[in-house]
Parts: sequence; structure tokens; C-alpha cells
Amino acid sequence: MRHQDSLIGVCLVAFCGFVFWLTTGFDEVPPMLSQNVPPTFFPRLVLSIIALLSLALVVQGLKKEVDAKETIEPAVFVTAAIIAVAGLLLSFAGTLLTLSLVAIVLPIAWGERRAHLIGALAVCLPAGVYLIFSLALGIRFPAGRLFEGLL
Amino acid sequence: MGLPGLEYALPIVTDPFVIGLIVAGTFAGVLVGALPGLSSSMAVALLLPFSLYLDPIPAIALLSALYCAGTFGGSITAILINAPGAPPAAATAFDGYPLAVKGEAGRALGIAAVSSACGGIFSVLVLLFAAPWLARIAYTFGPPEYFALAVFGLSMLSSISGAEPTKNLIGGCFGLLIATVGVDLTTGIERLTFGIPELYDGIHFIPVLIGLFAVTELLTQAQTLGLEKVAVTIKALKLPTLDDFKRVKGTILRSSGIGTFIGILPAEGSTMAAMIGYNEAKRWSDAPEEFGKGSIEGIAGPEAANNAATGGSMVPTLALGIPGSATAAVILGGLQVQGLRPGPYLFDEQPGLLYGIFFAMLLANALFLVFGLLGAKLFSRISLVPTTLLWPTVFALCFVGAYGLEQSLVDVWVMLVAGLIGFGLKRYGFSPAPIIMGLVLGGLVETSLAQSMIIFDQQWTGFLARPISLIFFALALVSMLNAPVRGFIRNRSQRSGGAA
Repeated sequence: MRHQDSLIGVCLVAFCGFVFWLTTGFDEVPPMLSQNVPPTFFPRLVLSIIALLSLALVVQGLKKEVDAKETIEPAVFVTAAIIAVAGLLLSFAGTLLTLSLVAIVLPIAWGERRAHLIGALAVCLPAGVYLIFSLALGIRFPAGRLFEGLL
Repeated sequence: MGLPGLEYALPIVTDPFVIGLIVAGTFAGVLVGALPGLSSSMAVALLLPFSLYLDPIPAIALLSALYCAGTFGGSITAILINAPGAPPAAATAFDGYPLAVKGEAGRALGIAAVSSACGGIFSVLVLLFAAPWLARIAYTFGPPEYFALAVFGLSMLSSISGAEPTKNLIGGCFGLLIATVGVDLTTGIERLTFGIPELYDGIHFIPVLIGLFAVTELLTQAQTLGLEKVAVTIKALKLPTLDDFKRVKGTILRSSGIGTFIGILPAEGSTMAAMIGYNEAKRWSDAPEEFGKGSIEGIAGPEAANNAATGGSMVPTLALGIPGSATAAVILGGLQVQGLRPGPYLFDEQPGLLYGIFFAMLLANALFLVFGLLGAKLFSRISLVPTTLLWPTVFALCFVGAYGLEQSLVDVWVMLVAGLIGFGLKRYGFSPAPIIMGLVLGGLVETSLAQSMIIFDQQWTGFLARPISLIFFALALVSMLNAPVRGFIRNRSQRSGGAA
């Protein structure tokens, strides 16, 4: 895209406008604390600076010739989808099953076809996480709604 | 000059647990640095949540050792497979790989290891003396001076990865904005929490930095799948000769000074130090025509400089609470999470901390020299671990790191969202480092500004009566105008050259 940075700058200015509008919805400061700097002061100051810098980006983008970017590979979207689904699955399937599934699905999506390596990773990864972080460090991972009745 | 807290050094240097952690951190650092895509920033970010299970001194010693060794580790893959394990090693590949292709991989690795160790040790010595000295000056600082100093630190973002100064500044401000999420401490008013109770305490920086450094890199690796990595074989570890060292000693000394100075500058880090170290090595060399073809000075210059920047970057981090690099920002965050307030009072409250860091970095520099030379074959093999198996493991660590802090799934979502946004930002020229800097400094900037405004009775002009603040504001202005002015002069000279 020819004026890519300009477009980014415009989007950022719009974003600043939106967040500025959100700051108008902050609660009123109680009178006894009103001598302090208001809670809207700093976010609005930062938003104003971002907006100014974004305008500078718009101007710079008009003069700049941008090299054509390589297209995003399908593997990136697949990977993003896998990690997003993993995030959703955590509270349902629990940590260990989710990590095991990630250890199977992600390598396959990335072209790994050696079943013994994938199998070993699917077992060793959640086992390692459980032994080191749950047993040794005492982190309580979500068991998942799927297993709540079983535990 | 007496050094405060010297008596606290002995228990640290004789504690087998601390020494064991430093050895483990150094080994892990070299390993992580040697794996393409895994940087020391990411490794420190991933390790940070687990370091909270340790006392402050062992925790920060571990992170510091990882930082030093990770910076060196990147040179192994830069030399052996022409793929820098981390950005600071990019300049090392210019001459390291050509020398390895000539069958002198051992010599290249030897020069890299010795230069890195010399640069690192030099900068640690500077850290030991400069940090307490700078801290003593900072005793006189009040909120207005701290605000101006933080503004100066953020302004320096305009010169990292110099091609995109405006985007770096926007990134820094974006980090400041993220830091405002949560309940305002002075008024108790909720800000940008969208009614989510987990956000009342704000967005914790650890999930954000794991997302920006590690999840973003996971997606970047997905973009580059299928690139074949071929290692140059090391038939025998042919070490550099005495003549080699005589030839590069001037380069090492010069680059150590350059790297330490650049590291001390807020926000500047090892990558810029390495590039300048390389350029200066070429400029001062008797044989500049050899650069790019396997010059040992071309390896020594960037390696001494990038490791010297590690110690240098810890000077403002510890003495002023202003990070000297992206990784130092993560370590600064680690100090904050441990309940320590980096700055002049840190040396009074935790007198052993400086020595813990000093000793960890010194030992790490000595150890990676050994690991780098003796373990080069092993690390070169590890660097060829299939990405298809490595990155699911990294993802598991990302998840555990983000979740383990507060044991909250919201933090996992923050990490994932930060990673997705980070990939998009990176694609459009925004670096994650400025956002992290802004996020870590957000609290300091807002608090010091709010306190200053109360001191000045809400009058901005109050800053004009504070000479130190004015100096920092002037420096901030210079650093922000530096890139555009230089660009303007360059364009003018090109135009006038073209007309002639």
C-alpha cells in the first residue's frame, strides 16, 4: 500500500479519539480529593501526544515510499487460531489436556509429520509442566469444567 | 573511594545456591541465545514470573546472568548458521559466517567468546563504580527531576532502531497508556477497566511482555516456516592465536568503551552498540577491505560492544530506575515485582543487591567464555532443534508464565491479545521494546508528574525553576530532534550533490 503509514496514523488518531471519549465516562472525583490531579489528566495527556505523533506519521507517510510487504503466510493465521482456541479451551478442558492438544496440533500445522516425536511432545510437555510448576512450585492450574465432576 | 555495602558481597559470592543459579542462568542464557528466534529479552521475560519464588538477590542475579549469556549466545548461531540467535548478534554474522565457511569456525567462535567476555567484564567494572556514583547524584532528585528524567528516557526511544523514530515514540506512549488502566491510586477512580474486576489493579506488565516478546515471535516463526538451517561443521576447535588477540585488542578496548557508553544511555541497547562497534572497527581497521569476508576485527567489534552494553544498561536501571535497554526494562520490572524501588535508595535498602548483580554478571561473563568455547559443538547442534517441537514448548512456558503470576486466566488472555497485537504492530514497523519501556515506566511517569503538579500548585511553569529538570527536558528535545534534523541535512546534501 502506497501511503500505509498515513493510514496507520489516521487509525491511531481515531483510536485516540475513541479512548478520549471513554475518559469522559470516568466517575466524578469526590470533593475532598479534588485538589489532586484528576484521573483523566494523565491518560488525556498521553492520548494527545499519541495523536500529535500520529499526525506526524500521517505527514511522513505521504512522503514515504513503502516497499511491498510479503503476504502473511496461512500458517500465521492457523497458529493464531490455535493459540486463541487454546485460550478458550483452558477453562473447559483444563491446562494439561489443552497443552497436550497444542503439542499435537501446532507441530502438525507447522508441517511436522514424525508421529513418534509429536506423541512424545504431547506426553512430555504437559507432564513436565505438571511436575515442575504444579508439584514443585505449587501453581494450581485450572482443571477445566470437563474434569470438575471427575475430581 | 569506599563502596557502600562491600561487606555484603562475601555472603553472596560464597553462597552455593546463588552460584548454582548463576551457572544455570548462564548455561540457559547461552542455550537460549543460540536458538534462533529466542532472544535474551524473551528468556528473561519468560523466567521472570518463576524468579518471584526466589529472594530478590538470587532472583536478580539469575536474570542478570541470563541477560549476559543470552547476548553472547546469539553469536554462536550467527557464526555457524548465519542466523543470529538474537538481534545484537546480527552484526557478528557479517564476518563470523564467512570465516566459518572458510573452515575457521572455531577461530571465529573463540574471538567472539573472548571479545564478549572482555566487553562484558569491562562494563561490569564500570557498573560497580558508576551506579553508586550516579545514585548519589540522584539523591537530590525530587518528583519534577524524576519526571523530566523519565521523559528523557522515553525520548531516547526515538533513536532505537533509528528508521522509525515516530513509531518508537508512539509505542512508548502506548505503553504509558496501558499503564493507566486500573484504579487511579490518588482518587480511587476506575480507569479503562470496562468493569472487569481483574483489571482494577491494572494490566500487569509480565503477561504483556511475554505476549509481545514470545507470542509475537511464535507468530513470526510461523511466517518463516520452511527456511532451512544448515550448520557449518566444526571439525576441530581451532582456537584463536596470540597474534589474533594482538590484532583485535584495540578493537575490543574501543568497542567495550562504545558499548558501555551506549548501554548507559536510557533505552539504547546491545543491538545499536553492536552496529556502532562494527562500524567503528571497520573505520579504524588497517584492513577495512577484509570486512564482510571474514575479518576477525569484524567479529570482535560487535561482540565486545554488545556485551559491554549489558553492564552499561544496568547503570541507569539500578541507579535511576530508568532502563538502559529492553531486557533491562524487564529486569527493572522484576525488581519492582520483588517490592524493590530501583533508584538511589535501593543501595541503602538492599546494599547487597549491587554486589549480587555485579558478581552474577562477572561470573556469567567468565562462564560463557568456558561454555562458548567448550560447548560450541553442542550448542550448534541444539540450534538445529526443529522449530515444530521447540515452539509448542515455548508456548507452554508462555502460558505458565502468564498464568502463574496471579493464577488468573485473564492474564493468559492479556498475553495472547498482546502477542496478536504485537505481531500486527511488528509487521507495520512498531517494535515491542518501546511499548515495554512505556509500560514499565508508566507508574513512575504518572506519579512523579502528579506530585510535581501538586508541588507547583498545578502550574506547568514550575518546571522552569528546576535546573536539573530543564537539562533533562533539553536533552529530551535534542534526542527527539536528532533524527529529523540529521535526515533533513542528509536530504539537503544529497539534493545539492545531485544538482552539482
